[in-house]
Amino acid sequence: MFINWALQEINLKIVYYGPGMSGKTTNLEYVHSKLDPSLTGELVTLKTKEDRTIFFDFMQIEVGKIKGKKPKFNLYTVPGQVYYASSRKIILNGVDGVVFVADSQADRMEGNIETLLDLEKNLTSMGYSLENFPWVIQYNKRDLPNSESIEALQKKLNFFNVPYFDGVAIRGTGVFDTLKAVINLVVKHVQTQL
Amino acid sequence: MVQVKKLKDGSRQIILNAKQFDEITRILSELAAKTKASTILLADISGQLITQRGNTEDINTAILSALAASDFAATSEMAKLVGEEAKFKLLFHEGEKRNVYLSNIGDNFFLVVVFDVSVTLGLVRIYTKKAIQNLTSVFESSESDEDASKVIDQDFSSMLGDMLDESFK
Repeated sequence: MFINWALQEINLKIVYYGPGMSGKTTNLEYVHSKLDPSLTGELVTLKTKEDRTIFFDFMQIEVGKIKGKKPKFNLYTVPGQVYYASSRKIILNGVDGVVFVADSQADRMEGNIETLLDLEKNLTSMGYSLENFPWVIQYNKRDLPNSESIEALQKKLNFFNVPYFDGVAIRGTGVFDTLKAVINLVVKHVQTQL
Repeated sequence: MVQVKKLKDGSRQIILNAKQFDEITRILSELAAKTKASTILLADISGQLITQRGNTEDINTAILSALAASDFAATSEMAKLVGEEAKFKLLFHEGEKRNVYLSNIGDNFFLVVVFDVSVTLGLVRIYTKKAIQNLTSVFESSESDEDASKVIDQDFSSMLGDMLDESFK
């Protein structure tokens, strides 16, 4: 978190984390397409030719002034593919909150778990812990026929009982609920830490 | 000083007061004048823009700082891989019309200087180095600080919640 008193700005960094192809970029694309252009900046995506995120996606959201202060939310996604481990670590630098975008498909469970462990490892190396950190889960791709039940996903992934949402990011289902929840958690968390 | 507070959970919070901000702006304006740099940014290492000088209208500086921070972070990882123990202190990108010079300021901040190829790199290096020394002393100057808990109170979070509902309709 970065507070600039001269400009009355409060900057928060939120990172969308999850396995490859789980829909992290799609979440950001939906937010970007639906928000009033006056509230959001350009969406930058660093992609390969095959449309896979190579480094990160980034966009900034402002929601106007609150008690004279201007909160700004910097949203990032990480590349999900396994071999971009160091990029993921880099992007977590200075993170205030995380959205874990899980892929609901049964055959992606292992990928979800592996990426969640990777997140935990990276947070731990920065002195945070998943247990006390503000994060939420989005179970994305609920519309696909081979998706796991929420119960099964919850059991495998949500061991700290964080807020979770059903998502069909491509149609926008759950996208704003997820974002709102993580922002609220971050702000609450900051309050308890001050 | 620029408060870099470690919170209870280990997360980091950076707070800049108004006086420091003015001082920083003054140093950057001077750097811009001396080097004829087209754009100068100061950002924190997580990619959040702090302040900017020069032509910032044609460039999306929020994005530029996010990219520059990642550029830095990526090269630190590269440094580790090639066996360089310290981080690389500066990065230089050479273009046909514009060059970009990035230099870190301690562990928490960095400077981005965008300048025309007609300006010599040596000049940019010298003045940037001097600006970094000045910025470092501003960051280190100790003063009473403002308290974030006064801003981010219960009211703040409920108002933010309403505003998000409004924006995300």
